[in-house]
Amino acid sequence: MSRKKIIAAFAAASLIALTGCGANANAGASNSTAGATDFPKKGKSIDLIVAFSSGGAVDTAARLIQPVLEKELGTKVEVVNKPGAGGQIGYTALTSAKPDGYTIGATGSPSVVVSPLDPARGAKYTRDSFKPLGRQVFDPAVIAVQPDSPYKTLKELLDAEKATPKSLTASTTGIQTGEHFALAQIQQVTGSEFAPVHFSEGASQATTAFLGKHVDVLVANVSDVNDLTKQGKARVLGVMSAERSPALPDVPTFKESGYDVEAGTARGYSAPAGLPDAVAKKLEAALEKAIEDPAVVQKMKDLGLQTSYLTAKDYEQMWAGQEGDFKQVLPLVQKKD
Amino acid sequence: METLNELLGGFATAMTWQNLIFAFLGCLLGTIIGVLPGVGPVAGVALLIPITLNLDPAGSIIMLCAIFYGTQYGGTITSVLLNTPGEASSAITTIDGYAMTKIGRAGAALTLAAVGSFIGGTIATVGLVAAAKPLGEMGLLVGPPEFFALMVVGISLLVALAGKSLVKAVISGALGLLISMVGIDPVAGAPRFTFGIDNLLDGVSFVAVIVGVFGLSEILSFRRNDVTPIVHAPGFRQLFPSRTEWRRSAPSMARGTGVGFGLGLIPGMTGSVSSLLSYAAEKKFSRFRHELGKGAVEGVAGPETANNAHANAALIPLFTLGIPASPTIAVLMGAFLQQGLTPGPSLFTEHSDIAWAIIASLFIGNVILLLLNVPLVGLWTSILRVPTPILTAVILLFMVIGAYTINFSVFDVYVMVGFGLLGLALRNLDIPLAPMVLTLVLGPLMERSLRESLEISQGDFSVFLSRPISAVLIAVGLLILCSPLLKIRKPKALTEDPEA
Repeated sequence: MSRKKIIAAFAAASLIALTGCGANANAGASNSTAGATDFPKKGKSIDLIVAFSSGGAVDTAARLIQPVLEKELGTKVEVVNKPGAGGQIGYTALTSAKPDGYTIGATGSPSVVVSPLDPARGAKYTRDSFKPLGRQVFDPAVIAVQPDSPYKTLKELLDAEKATPKSLTASTTGIQTGEHFALAQIQQVTGSEFAPVHFSEGASQATTAFLGKHVDVLVANVSDVNDLTKQGKARVLGVMSAERSPALPDVPTFKESGYDVEAGTARGYSAPAGLPDAVAKKLEAALEKAIEDPAVVQKMKDLGLQTSYLTAKDYEQMWAGQEGDFKQVLPLVQKKD
Repeated sequence: METLNELLGGFATAMTWQNLIFAFLGCLLGTIIGVLPGVGPVAGVALLIPITLNLDPAGSIIMLCAIFYGTQYGGTITSVLLNTPGEASSAITTIDGYAMTKIGRAGAALTLAAVGSFIGGTIATVGLVAAAKPLGEMGLLVGPPEFFALMVVGISLLVALAGKSLVKAVISGALGLLISMVGIDPVAGAPRFTFGIDNLLDGVSFVAVIVGVFGLSEILSFRRNDVTPIVHAPGFRQLFPSRTEWRRSAPSMARGTGVGFGLGLIPGMTGSVSSLLSYAAEKKFSRFRHELGKGAVEGVAGPETANNAHANAALIPLFTLGIPASPTIAVLMGAFLQQGLTPGPSLFTEHSDIAWAIIASLFIGNVILLLLNVPLVGLWTSILRVPTPILTAVILLFMVIGAYTINFSVFDVYVMVGFGLLGLALRNLDIPLAPMVLTLVLGPLMERSLRESLEISQGDFSVFLSRPISAVLIAVGLLILCSPLLKIRKPKALTEDPEA
């Protein structure tokens, strides 16, 4: 064999070897029903499905708790992104996985609550397909205007919009997303109707359009506007939470301004329904440790995300409550042809 | 001058031996990821974020940025040698890159791509240092209506990609648009054209389509004509471009830098748009446009320069405004956040040392990529020494693995095979493939920006003409579309089919 041939063979072989790496990330789950005692099995990794693309708030939160979860459970935890269709793809994957504890997922509302409510979306799961394990974050919705806007208070803005409906455009991150529901709730409670502009690519596109003054009003979560307010690029007029947000201490809540509106995004973790109780207990305890971990809480805070842990039971109750709220305003956010 | 001092300080940080090692490792890993078809930069960077989490902030971001533009180059290698695009932004390079391989100029194509990538990347980084702030603000001028108008210009370049027959180009373009419609309707959030198949909810995977249409259909057409591809590995002296090739590439690289840099500043543009439009620009303006599709250096130098200029320019909105301009940058932004760095103006006030170290490492990374890749051209091209039957099998294996690893789903493999057959049919009907890829990329962007524009204007179509930037762009698009009618085009002899 000549040297050239050897080099060629080596090059081809190394290429083939390279393609081999990373191709076995999703080996199917085995068929043993996990008993409580041997969960989690040594060396058997747990998939944490994130229904949104990497780099977003849901993904970042999941990756922050991942190392602590590994420590608590004593096995590998892999974050698997299955983005698309407003979370529907990832949620479908989560609810159709085996309920043996080796597949859990990040669940965020409104996305997880809404997709089964609207028959047009053809979701294959309902609220009962999930076993909630714990809530990590509540990220309240906010409403902001351009820094040079004539509206100085929430009341001025809402009164103006009430007098001339749809005179101002307001951004959302897509049809039937948290922001869209927030707008619908504002409309229901105050009668002020904005013209929604849906940026289905997500918060960064909505923010970009707002910065370029292509939309008048930014509807977003606290974490999205954290940095914008620091730079003086947005004037936040109101937060839709019960209490003022620690990240925006100077901004009054809607309640303080006299409007009974609470809206926001809740993010937590769930498993497919049918999880054995003993396994659920182990996962819940590990999640609580990971979510409440001081280092994780601090990093979340740096991102403008307020950690507010809820146990599995409370998270489930909140979920049901949100479902009720959304059902009421659903007609307002459904596509009118 | 202050800027220069800060940059020099950044170099001092970036030049520490461990940061240099991180940059080198990042470039190497990025190139490897780029070589794997289907594993694009997004997946690549996301896969490797966990590895970098334990490094210090500067080191980890330096490594991730290096991975990011390493993938841009790696994707070229398989495009040129195996006719299988490693990632979306190298898809269009397959046309002339593989044609060059067939005529024994694979080495030259890879070297030109490496040098073009270096030039495009470096000039974009100079832009980042010199005028980050005003450039970032400029990108904001492009709202949904302007974005839509820009897409009109892009789609009108179909004319440039048309071969002998404009009708066939339009057929190909319409097919691409149709395929891009599959998935969740962004207007109503309801599935459309999915035929009840869950796997189609997220649309047809772009990489699976291009691997099938370009790569697989080529291999399938060998069998039919029973012609073995005549690919010979170049000797050492043929690894480098001739003086003529250098001379011809220079203007293409200049155009590619312009296209990539300009589009990279605009939030929401992806690198594949830049490389496609750069190729279309070559078809329109290059002195040797009649050779494109037959192994013209312009078809490699232009797009390859464009996608690296784009990749580096896309960091400008991130650094100045904290806006991720593309999915890959969004992943990168996630890594910034995990390190406790918030991209945006505050980055320069609160962590200016790290910010400048990252910018300095961009320059260093571009140099490393060049030094890493030019000597390796010999190694890569030696793959071609593998006997044809074995090589074909290896390529097929690559395509299947590549399609599978996009989402780790066998469905994407079926998609790739299906589109391979479609590509074969189109080849036999003499329908050009490039317009289809163009509309596949631009279709969803166009639809989204049209919708957003009409929501902003609340249904008034005049929004596109009442805003100066978009009005000018629409006019340009119409002009390009009408150019064949106005007989500005050259005589018939020169309009060759790009895929013949």
